[in-house]
Amino acid sequence: MVRIGNRELAWREGMTVADLLAELEDPYPYAVARIGDRLISGPDFDKATVPNDSEVFLIPLIAGG
Amino acid sequence: MAELTVKEIQTLNYERPAIQKGYANQTLYVDLAASQISIKPVSEQMKEIFVGGKGFDLWFLWNAVKGSTRWSDPENALCIASGPLGGTPLYPGSGKSIVTAISPTTGSVMDSNVGGYFGPYLKFSGFDALEIQGKTQVPTVILIDGISQQIRILEVTGLPSEAHEISELLTHHFGRGKPRNISVVSTGPAAKHTLIGCLNFSWYDAKRSKTRLKQAGRGGMGTVFADKGLQAIVARWDTVTAATNNPVDEATLKKVARLHSQEIVDQDPKQNQMSLVGTAHLVTIMNDYDLLPTHNFRYGQHPEAPKLGMEVYRALFDKGYDGCWMGCTLACSHGVKDFVPATGPKTGRKVFVDGPEYETIAGCGSNLGIFDPLHVVEMNFYCDTYGLDAISTGTSIAFAMECFELGLINKVHTGGMDLSFGSRASALELLHQMARGEGFGKVVGQGVRRMKEIFFKEYGADRAIMEDIGMEAKGLEFSEYMSKESLAQQGGYGLALKGPQHDEAWLIFVDMVHNFMPTFEQKAEALHWFPLWRTWFGLCGLCKLPWNDIVPADNKQTQEPAKVMRHVEWYTQYFGAVTGRKVELADLITMSERVYNFQRVLCLKMGFGRREHDAIPYRAMGPVTVEEYHSRQERYDKQLKEIYRIDIEGKDAAEKVKILRKLREERYEQLKDAVYERRGWTKAGIPTLDTVKRLGIDFPEVREVLKAHGVA
Repeated sequence: MVRIGNRELAWREGMTVADLLAELEDPYPYAVARIGDRLISGPDFDKATVPNDSEVFLIPLIAGG
Repeated sequence: MAELTVKEIQTLNYERPAIQKGYANQTLYVDLAASQISIKPVSEQMKEIFVGGKGFDLWFLWNAVKGSTRWSDPENALCIASGPLGGTPLYPGSGKSIVTAISPTTGSVMDSNVGGYFGPYLKFSGFDALEIQGKTQVPTVILIDGISQQIRILEVTGLPSEAHEISELLTHHFGRGKPRNISVVSTGPAAKHTLIGCLNFSWYDAKRSKTRLKQAGRGGMGTVFADKGLQAIVARWDTVTAATNNPVDEATLKKVARLHSQEIVDQDPKQNQMSLVGTAHLVTIMNDYDLLPTHNFRYGQHPEAPKLGMEVYRALFDKGYDGCWMGCTLACSHGVKDFVPATGPKTGRKVFVDGPEYETIAGCGSNLGIFDPLHVVEMNFYCDTYGLDAISTGTSIAFAMECFELGLINKVHTGGMDLSFGSRASALELLHQMARGEGFGKVVGQGVRRMKEIFFKEYGADRAIMEDIGMEAKGLEFSEYMSKESLAQQGGYGLALKGPQHDEAWLIFVDMVHNFMPTFEQKAEALHWFPLWRTWFGLCGLCKLPWNDIVPADNKQTQEPAKVMRHVEWYTQYFGAVTGRKVELADLITMSERVYNFQRVLCLKMGFGRREHDAIPYRAMGPVTVEEYHSRQERYDKQLKEIYRIDIEGKDAAEKVKILRKLREERYEQLKDAVYERRGWTKAGIPTLDTVKRLGIDFPEVREVLKAHGVA
C-alpha cells in the first residue's frame, strides 16, 4: 500500500513515481516528490521506485530562494 | 571577554510614542560627523504613498543624495526600517528589516532584507526607520534604548572586529541580564577592505544561550556601514505581544495569523520541510533540473551535487527551534553547532554557524566546483563573521577561478595560489585575505565588475570573454540559479531594480519546468506582478517565505497557483487588521507599484535605471563556449531546429553557438520591450509621466529627473 494525500493506492513491484502519478490521474505538473526523506525530481519520476508501505508527498515547487 | 571602554559622545532623551496601527509615526536621524541625533515626524502622506519599510528608506535616501553622490560620500544615507506589520509575533515571517543605501558595487540604489530582531525593536523603541548620514573617525556604537528612552552615540574601544564576537559581547553588555532584549547590527573586518561587505543582524536564541546572526547581504551594505566608522547599532526593547503594534482589529489579526501559522505547521512536513532543513532541500532539486550553478554558472548539474544535499545538512543542523523572529512557524534559520574550522583565526575552536542556506551551498560550494559540505559550512562561518555577502563572495570567487582556468590570470596574479575549480584551501584563503585586506583576496573582494577592469587593464586579460562569463549585472553578482533556459528568469534577474537577486522574481519553475507562461505577454505580466507583490513584503516588514514556500493543500486547484491567492487574501486581511486601511489585493499591488517606480526613478537620478543598465552577461542567457554547447548539444540543436527553424546541417558548434546567441539576445530585448510596456515605461526603460501621475508620485523632483531623461 502507498499513501499519498488522503488516498491509499495498491503497491506493486517496480512501481515508479510516474506510475503512481498515472494512477492518481492528477494532471497537475508536479515538480518534486518526496518519499519519506528522499526527494525525487520530475526528470527521475520514471526511474525512481516507490517502496511498499511508503508515504509519498507531491510538491508543486513554485517557490525558491 | 574583551574589556570595553565606553565614552559618551551624544545622548538624546526622548519620550517613546505609543505604537498606533503598526506605526511609531516618527523616525530617527543620526549624523555621525556632527554627532547629531534628531527625531522626524512621519506624515499621513508619507504612510499613504510609501507605506513603510523599504518605502520609507527610499524616501530618505532620495532626499539625502544628489545624482553625483558616491557610496563613500558622507551624505550617502544608510537606512534601516521595519514596516507597519513588522514585529507581529503571531504571524509567520513578521520580523524583517530592510536596509538601503547607495551601493559600493553598483553605484546605485541597493535594498537588502534581513531577519533578526532589530527592525521590530527599532520600531517598538519609537522609530519606523533609522537614517544615518556622515562619517566618523572614532569607533562608534549607536544605542537605541526603547526601555530607557534614550538614544546614545558612544565611542567604544576594545570591541573585537568579528561579527559573532561583537554581537555576543554587546548583547550581554547592554542586555543587563536580559540578552533577549538586545539586537545588534554589525559587520566584520572584511567589510572595510572589500566592496561586498554584509550586515549581520542578531537575535538572542534563549534555548541555546547564543546570539544568532542573519545577514543583509546584497550590495555592500556592510561596506557602507564600515566606511561610516560604525562598529555597531544596538536596539534594546522588552516584551513583544500581538498588542505591541496596537492593531486596529486584534481579533482578526489573531484569527488570520493562526490560520497561516497552523497551515505551515500542517503542510510544511508534507512539503519542503523548511522547519527541519531550511532551503537546503533546493540543492538536489536544482541539480536534477540542470539549474544548480556549477563552475561559474557554466553548467547546472554535477554528479557530486548530492554530497551537498538536504540529507547531509539535515544531519549537520542542530535540532531545535530556529525562527529568526518570535513565533514564526516556518523557523528556517538553521545552524551547525560545535563546528570546528580547519583554517583561519578560529582553527580548532568550536563555533556555532548560522546556516548554510541554499544560496551559500550553491555559491560557495557547487559554483566553485567544491562538493564538500563541511567546506561550505566553514565558508559560511567566515563570510558571516568577516562581514561578507556569501552570494557575492561565491560568485566572485567562481569568476576568478574560471579566469584562472582559462589562463586569463595566473599564479603571478594570485600570489601563488592555485585557483582551479575545486580548490578548497584557496577559496578559504581568499576569505582570510579579504579580512586582512591583503593579497589577491582583496582584488576578488572588489566584486566581478571591478575584477574585469583590473584583469583587463593590469593583467592584459581578454575583456570580451570576461564580459560574457562575469556573472554580474548593474555591478551586483548573480544569486545562485541558472537562468539559461528560462527567459522569464533572465528577465527576473536583468530587470530587477537593484541587480540580479532573485527576491524580485523567481520564475524558473513556472516558466521553464511548468511552462505556465509561454508568450512574451505572459512573461511580461509575470515580470510585472511578481516583483510588485514581492516588493510589498519589503514595505511591511515581512518575509516572503510563508507566502509561497509552503502552500495550501488545495492550492493546485486554484486558478493561478503560482500566486498562492489564499495567502495573498490573508495578507490583505493582515494589513487591514493592523493598519485599519481597508484594502483589496489591487491596493497592495498599487502600494508596491508606487515604491517600485519611485525606486526606478531614484536609480535614474543616480545615473542608472535605463534600458542599457538592464543588460545581463551572455552566460545568463545561453552557452558562451563550444564546450558548453557540446555539453547540452541535443537540447540546443533541437531548439535551433524546432523553435527557430534553423537548418543546422553542416554547421559546427562554433557556428551554432553564434546563431543561438543572436536569437537568444534578440528574445531578451523583445522581453524587455514587453515588460517595459506592461510596467508603463518607455522603450528606454523609464517610467512615463502618465505612470508616475497615475501612481501619485509625480512630485516636482521626480518630474525633474524624468525631464532630464527626455520624459515630459
